[in-house]
Amino acid sequence: MSPPIFVRTGDARAAAGPAVLATLGLGPCVAILLHDPVAGIGGLAHAMLPDPAAAPAGAPAARFAARAVPLLVHEMTALGAEPGRLVAALVGGAALFEPLVCAGQRTLGARNVQAARAALAEAGIPIRAEAVGGDFGRSVYFQLSDGRIRVTAVGQPDVLLV
Amino acid sequence: MIDIRALDALELDGLREVANIGAAHAATALSEMTGRRISVTIPVIRIIRLEDVPYMTGDADAAIAAVLMRVHGDAPGRTVQIFPAESAARLAAMLLGREAVEFPDGFGELERSLLNEVGNIVVGACLNALSEFLGMALVMSVPSLAIDKAGAILSAAYLGFDDTGEYVFCIDTQLYIAERSEPLRAHFLLIPETDALGAILRAMHLR
Repeated sequence: MSPPIFVRTGDARAAAGPAVLATLGLGPCVAILLHDPVAGIGGLAHAMLPDPAAAPAGAPAARFAARAVPLLVHEMTALGAEPGRLVAALVGGAALFEPLVCAGQRTLGARNVQAARAALAEAGIPIRAEAVGGDFGRSVYFQLSDGRIRVTAVGQPDVLLV
Repeated sequence: MIDIRALDALELDGLREVANIGAAHAATALSEMTGRRISVTIPVIRIIRLEDVPYMTGDADAAIAAVLMRVHGDAPGRTVQIFPAESAARLAAMLLGREAVEFPDGFGELERSLLNEVGNIVVGACLNALSEFLGMALVMSVPSLAIDKAGAILSAAYLGFDDTGEYVFCIDTQLYIAERSEPLRAHFLLIPETDALGAILRAMHLR
């Protein structure tokens, strides 16, 4: 396995196999993983917020789930991926410290996942797998040659999503 | 609304002084609890980009223990106490008077409620001192403990509370608990909401 390319919070990367994309310590953030299985090209975005409605003009696109999806598609297409072949996976969107967040509010994690699902539906990209919600953080490793996804969490065995 | 990047040197000094007073009382409480000598670093004011929050204490993937509490009243905000894996295990062992268990797998209800109690006592002492110093009513919530990846904990401590400006703020003090071998380390983060920063500065006659 090649050493992973780590995608930082609020950032997005596209690459081709045998590269491995990874992102660490997802809490309420959501990781959006896109894969073209034929070309072996993939992309990963670590989005922090649902959409840029109230954000300042210069805010980076990958910070927002709604804008990260078209950004990834654009970068992957430039590498030779075919938009019609893309499949998606979502990881993250947890709610830590939930007893202290205002009761009755939909958590940021849930809103992030919802925004990612909506953006994928808009782009016509099917969701193949999800590891979202709960009250614990996750890290994710994405093997681009075959699209395999490994999710790690503290005190739990690793999960192979695909 | 305060622009946290435009705070001047006098105001930053004032905020460090506030944190210093809080941390000193927190350290005294922790010292009484553990029977050990506690040293406190000079508080560091961190004003960082939202994107850098998960990496504030280093490795975003590292398993840590953190106790988060909300502060209500005249200067609302949050406090987060962060114990790196090894320190969490040894602190629990020290307070229970037994050998350290594996972190996080060996951490049961007892260890968890113990760290919550440490949080309660330390933050209580800190806020009492600050209430008096600032002449403000500050009330703390119940503690909430998470044993999780540092990145997940830190991003939840900001994003989960709608603290999503371009830059975020905290005052970071480190506590060291003396031990025969390596000292135990803990971060103590004070995260006042932006409006609370203004209230604190006014209480100190800096605004």
